[in-house]
Amino acid sequence: MTFRDRLLATIRAARPVLEHPGVLVVGSEVPNLLEPGAAATLVVSQDLDIGVPVDGHAAVKRRLPELRLHFRPSPDEPSVWTPRSSGMLEVNFVGMDPTLDPADAYVLEDDQLPLLVFGALSLVAPGAEIDISGTRIRVPRPAGLLLEKLVTDRTGEKGDRDLLVALGLLMTANPADLDELDGAYRRLRPELRHTVRSNLTLLSLIEARPGMPDPRPRRDAVAALLRRLETGDEGLP
Amino acid sequence: MSPTLERRISEQRARVLVRSLDYRQRRHASGVWFRLRRVLADAGAAFVIPEDEARTLIAEGHRAEPVGQELEPPKLIVMASSARIAQIASAQPVPMRLGGELLSAACLALTPFEETA
Repeated sequence: MTFRDRLLATIRAARPVLEHPGVLVVGSEVPNLLEPGAAATLVVSQDLDIGVPVDGHAAVKRRLPELRLHFRPSPDEPSVWTPRSSGMLEVNFVGMDPTLDPADAYVLEDDQLPLLVFGALSLVAPGAEIDISGTRIRVPRPAGLLLEKLVTDRTGEKGDRDLLVALGLLMTANPADLDELDGAYRRLRPELRHTVRSNLTLLSLIEARPGMPDPRPRRDAVAALLRRLETGDEGLP
Repeated sequence: MSPTLERRISEQRARVLVRSLDYRQRRHASGVWFRLRRVLADAGAAFVIPEDEARTLIAEGHRAEPVGQELEPPKLIVMASSARIAQIASAQPVPMRLGGELLSAACLALTPFEETA
């Protein structure tokens, strides 16, 4: 069974939640699902991040019993549901609060489905609905997802891979996506704009890794984005 | 709150504190790594060159990047066209990453993307 098989089986099993209005698939699996035929060629972690809007938390909770056939909440971390079969991935529920500062985070306490609400996900907006083997899932707009990747502190191997996922998003972004990214970037406060630029410099110098987009032939595009974001930004660095 | 969630939220807040500290120090010594990466990000290729060649480039009017002098030991980092670097027989290309070859070089010549495309 391939990773793609497990990813698609997970999506089918999580369908009652994934098709709920407002719920988004977020995280590193999005580029995998956006590949032609959801080819899932990127090597990322073995989980599916499900973004739950905090104002839809109660409604999503009502759908959870339908997931219990295939998943159970982790006793260590109830926002993570582990699969009952090795043919599926973990699902990781995260909260989305559009009013939250991108640098902030809080826990939405709940005895059934507590959520870690990441402020960076406030930058993510609902994008296209795509059909994955019969399940209609909604993914974020590319600009917001890319900015979310770049505004989050990235360290170590996982950090490098997250930045390479951002590179994959950048490579598939169209001019309108880049305009949207530019506009959203300029609404960030200076400290967060600096983080975005810092992550782009890291991305420019990351080594190639098997199973991930090779950054070396794309460094010019990263540099062009850096210069674009710096244009008109006073007082750099 | 579960201990795991408590740990994760605590780690997230710690990261934000460190980031704020890094941001406040960005114009000081610790910000040098960002400034170095920023210069390297604009370069299509990097070459280790002898010091006399680096000084010749600077004398010719090529730009010496100030960030090189902020490091210890200092480096001469010079931007020049790939055509000009091709005239330096001893120029050795080094990978564009923050690895030992690049960081241990006393003198680096960088070429812009327009020249390497």
